[in-house]
This record gives sequence, C-alpha cells and structure tokens, in this order.
Amino acid sequence: MSRNVRTCLLSSLVALVGCGGSSASDDGSLRAALLTSGPVSDAGWYAGAYDGLLLIQDSLGATISHQQTATPAEFDEAFLAYASSGYDLIFAHGFEYQDAAVRAGSQFPDVTIVVSGGGRIADNVVPLIFRLEEGSYLAGMAAAAMSETGMVGMVGGVAIPPAQGTFRAFEAGARSIDPDIRVLETFTGDWNDVAAAKEATVAQLSRGADVIIHNVDAASFGVFQAVREAAADGRTVWAVGMNSDQNDVAPDVIIGSAVIRIPQAFLETARRWETGEVGGAPIYASIREGVIDFVFNPRLMDRVPSGIVERIAAARSDIRSGALTVPRVRFVEDEVGAP
Amino acid sequence: MADVQAQSVRSVGALESILTGAVAVALTLLTGAVLLLLGGFDPIAAGGAMIGGAFGGWNTFVSITLVRSIPLILTGLAVALAFRAGVWNIGAEGQLYAGAIAAVWVGIRGGALPAPLLVPAVLMSAGVAGALWALVPTLMHLRLGVGEVITTILMNFVGIYLAAYMVHGPLQEARGVFPQTGPIAEAARLPMLLPGSRLHWGFGVALLLAAALAVVVRRTRFGFELRAVGASPEAAAVSGRIDTSRVLLVSFLGSGAIAGLAGGVEISGLTHALYEDLSPGWGYTAIAVALLAGLNPAGVVVTGVLFGALQAGAGAMQRDAGIPAAWVGVVEALVILAVLAIDRIRRRAGALRAAGARGDE
Repeated sequence: MSRNVRTCLLSSLVALVGCGGSSASDDGSLRAALLTSGPVSDAGWYAGAYDGLLLIQDSLGATISHQQTATPAEFDEAFLAYASSGYDLIFAHGFEYQDAAVRAGSQFPDVTIVVSGGGRIADNVVPLIFRLEEGSYLAGMAAAAMSETGMVGMVGGVAIPPAQGTFRAFEAGARSIDPDIRVLETFTGDWNDVAAAKEATVAQLSRGADVIIHNVDAASFGVFQAVREAAADGRTVWAVGMNSDQNDVAPDVIIGSAVIRIPQAFLETARRWETGEVGGAPIYASIREGVIDFVFNPRLMDRVPSGIVERIAAARSDIRSGALTVPRVRFVEDEVGAP
Repeated sequence: MADVQAQSVRSVGALESILTGAVAVALTLLTGAVLLLLGGFDPIAAGGAMIGGAFGGWNTFVSITLVRSIPLILTGLAVALAFRAGVWNIGAEGQLYAGAIAAVWVGIRGGALPAPLLVPAVLMSAGVAGALWALVPTLMHLRLGVGEVITTILMNFVGIYLAAYMVHGPLQEARGVFPQTGPIAEAARLPMLLPGSRLHWGFGVALLLAAALAVVVRRTRFGFELRAVGASPEAAAVSGRIDTSRVLLVSFLGSGAIAGLAGGVEISGLTHALYEDLSPGWGYTAIAVALLAGLNPAGVVVTGVLFGALQAGAGAMQRDAGIPAAWVGVVEALVILAVLAIDRIRRRAGALRAAGARGDE
C-alpha cells in the first residue's frame, strides 16, 4: 500500500496526473490487455485481435488496453507494465511473445498470459492454438476449383510452423480437387512488408499461378494489390483472404477467406478465464468451435464453378465429425497426445 | 592550433546538453499536442501517460527508462567517438547485430569456459565482432576512398539479414521450430545491478565506458589527435605530427567495437537469446543521441536516458492513453526533429561566439 501511495505521489508530482494504474481494478471487473507486434489496422490477424479486445470490453465490462510492441525488450517491458498496473489477462498475439511471456509469468503469478500460436506452457502461460489449417484446407479446395491454369500460389511472411501448416493444408485441399495441381510457395520473411509481398505475388502470377493465398499480416494489401493489377490487365486471377474475413478488402478479386473468428475465440477464452478454467494447457480453436472456417465472397458467387460449394460444405462437416483429418504441423511442447 | 580549438564547437558541456534537450522537448510537446488534438485524442492524457510511463515511480524509471537507455547510450557513444574523428559511421545498427550474433554464439557454445570468464568472453566477442563489422567500411574508406556513409549503411542490411539467417539456420533453437536461438548459459548472463528490478549491469558498463571515453577524449594524446583530425583532417596531416590514418582506423574500429558491445550487452543482460527484431533501430537513434549530446561522452549518458524516457513514455501513451502506435511514432519523430533543429541552431550560435572571440584577439 505504502508503495502504491509513494508511486502515486511521485507520478502526480512529476506528471501532474493521478494514478491511472492501480485503482480501477478495485471494482473487481476484468482488466484485459492486448499486445501485437504489428498495426491493428491490417484488416486481418492484428485487427481481429483488437476486435476481440473490444468484444471483451463490451460483453464482460472489462477495462482494456492495447500496445503495439516491436522488440523482445519491449515485450518484457509491456508485460511488466501491465502486470504491475493490475491487469489480469494479457493476450500476446503471436508466437514471438512466448519467451517473454514465460519470464513474466513466473514473475507475476497472478497474471494469466494467452499467447496466440505460442509453443510454451506454464501454469499461467497458455498457448491459444488456432487450427487455421482447417480453413486453409477448404480454401485450397476453392482455389483449385477456381484455377484455370492448374497452378496456385502461396505467399507467406516468416516461415514458422503455424504458417507452414496452413500452406501444407492448402496444398492438400487443392489436391483433393485437382490431384495434378501445381503449388508455388514464397516466404518473404516479413509479416508486414507490403512491397515484398506484392513482389512475391507478381512473381508467382507471372509464372502462371492464377489463384494466390497469403499468410501475412499487414502485407496482405500487397498481395491483393498485385492480383488487382493483374486483373486490370485482363487476366482472370483471384486472391484468397486469410486470418479475418477479408472479402471486403478487395471485393472484386478475393474469392473467399480462410477465417479465424479471433474475437469469438478471445471472448470465449476470457469467459473461461473468469470461471478459472484457463491455465497449464493449450486452448484449441477449430472448425468444431466455429472459430475457424472458410467463407466465400458473396459478390463473386456467380464466378464459382457449380458443385464446389457443396463439396466444401461436405468437407467442413467431415472435419467437424473427425471423418477428415487435415494435415497439420505440431509445434506446442509436449503436444504429442493433443487432440 | 588555436584554429583547431575554435572550430571544435561541436563539443559542449553536459549542462548545455540538458538545456537543449529540455527546450526540444517543450517545443515538441506543443507541436505534438496540436497534432493529437487534430487526431481527436486528449493531449493532456497523452502527455501525462508519457511522463508517467518514463518517470512515474522508481521501478518504472529504473526498470523501463534506464533499461531502454542502455543500448542507446552504448550506440550513442559509438557514434560520438566516430563523429568526433569526422568518421560518419551510420553503421552502428549492423555492428550491433554483429555483436549480438557473436555474443549469443559464445553464450551458447562457450560452456567449456570457467563460469566467471563467460560474461567477459561474451562481451569481448561482441566488441570484436562489431569492430570486424566496421573493418570493411574502414578499409574501403582508408584504402579506396569510398565514402563510409554508404558502406556503413549497406553493412547494416548485411548484419540484419545475417542475424535473420542465423536464427533460421545455424543458431536456431534446438527444436528447430521458431526463428530464434536457444537461451545462452546462465553463467553468460550479466547480473542485475539493482535486485528486484530489470536493471542489469549493462547500465554500469555503459556508465564506465562513457567515463573512460570522456577521459580519453579530453586528457590523452590520442584524444587530442582525435579532436584535431575531426576538426580538420588536412590541418592535422599538415602538422606532420599526427598519423591521420591511424586515428581514423582506431576511432572507426573503436566505434564498431562499442556498437558491437551494445548488442552483446542486450543479449547478455536482457533477452538472453537472439531474435530477428532485436533492435528497434538503436543504431540510427544513436545518431540523434550523440548529436544532441554534442558528441560529448558524458552528455551521451544524459541524452541516452532522455531518449530512453521518450521511448518508455511512448509505450505508456499507447497503454494508458489509448493513442495508436502510428500517432505515437509521429510524436517520437517530432521530438527527434526538434532535437536536430535545436542542435543546429545551438551550433550556429557557438560558431558565432567562437568567431566573435577570435575577432577580439
């Protein structure tokens, strides 16, 4: 208490502001924070997380905060700042946070940290694993059906297992429709480098690919831009959205999106945290929970070959029932016995 | 000699650095406030969060502001040393990455060394790697006359991508899953300077190095030669008593070594592993840190802490005032612009004073 008072006094003296930090948690409501390493204006991975944070605020009356952080030193610092100002639940939206999360978790046992796509587990540090490969498999089916050249492309950011997993599943889905389809793959090494993603897409299009899926974040605009420009040149080419429903981002060329309903997954996680069910084990979010899916762009349905919508619907229910197993890359520690 | 002294107006006292910094911050806050208002944000809340995030309590100041200042002070010292000799080393970023790669390599593989020697070995290897990274631009400059601004910038990209290659390849963590190295050995980690905080001994290293450099620059023969060459390489060469090439070589490599050390300190003191995005651009911010300090080593400590506070406050502006990162970045950039403008004005005033003093003689 005396420490709090001293901190308050100090910060009031220096900053002429009150103590924003510690008082608000006294009413007992949830305090939830989000860390992202890219901008929440990406209409995808980060935007979905930010929407999730807002949903937690609206649905659970939580106090929320967000910080964009770039470096490992900043990760540590953000965990420290949030934990010491009374935040209960921190969503760290990317595998890159895992080491800092484990460090902070052992230092602040009262805080729960959820690491999206993380690989390390502690009592209060849990990975939130999105089975995006299930949606990506369905996207591969759609892409193969749309392709006229028999070649499709994949543009990724950093070649990490979750991203590679979505591409393996995309390939498998495409081959289930066209066993002879050719699949190109490029990782640019950067989730948010729009120019690099655009270049990679242009290269794949010029090699003959006519449907391009991405797994990048803010760089997706580069992928869509390249496809748009090729379409403007008279080619019949399509893009596939990823992470969020991106069908509105480039409605004339995005045939559909493999989506993670991140807001829903975050809200469900926050609810489970409130009932004490979060800790010590990964949380999985898949088609079964309705978090992962593939959604066609309704404006382009007249371009979709007949029969493929039904085949995708059948595959979706087979994945849900377990009759169809989508290939995936396992990367969480001790995940051998996982579902 | 008098000419050399008079032209050396870049070096000013630490007090003047503080004053310049204060004026820069005041001006910038004003501009920033107007911008934030235009963006529909509350500038009072933003300013409060910024100051609170940098100075709001002892632990905040020590664990966030001072920890952030460590790589800024070290790279700032690196830049100051080079600039003092008139060497435009824009390559502190790449030299830092070279140091970080060497540090993590020794920290992981150096298990055979006795524990007390491991930390010194890690830091020394980082310094050597940074100096080697500066060697290519140095030789191109001295032997071929290739401008070091371009070569050092290019070497930055090589360093950054080499680090990326290392964490995807030879130094990737044991499971081979994530783009990062495994942790360095416990014995390779710098101890905490203040137990219970995040402040590690890197801060002590930075302070000691600043003190040592201040003595070298002011009190030694080499320091005199350094200032002479920096003020006018031609005059220094004509004097016949200064080996200009040697001074450039030593200051350039020394600058690289200090920047490399910054990378080693960050690995050994804080992250304990190498990641792709280790640095948010410390090697570039270091130029502003060094210029604002008037290339004065003691001043670099002050301006390094100031920039550390700025970055710490920027984080808190996002967290506590809800200002989006892009806006925070604009405010940060404004501060740096204000700093450079004021530094320019102050230098012109100094040059006028010096010219006036000469006229009185």
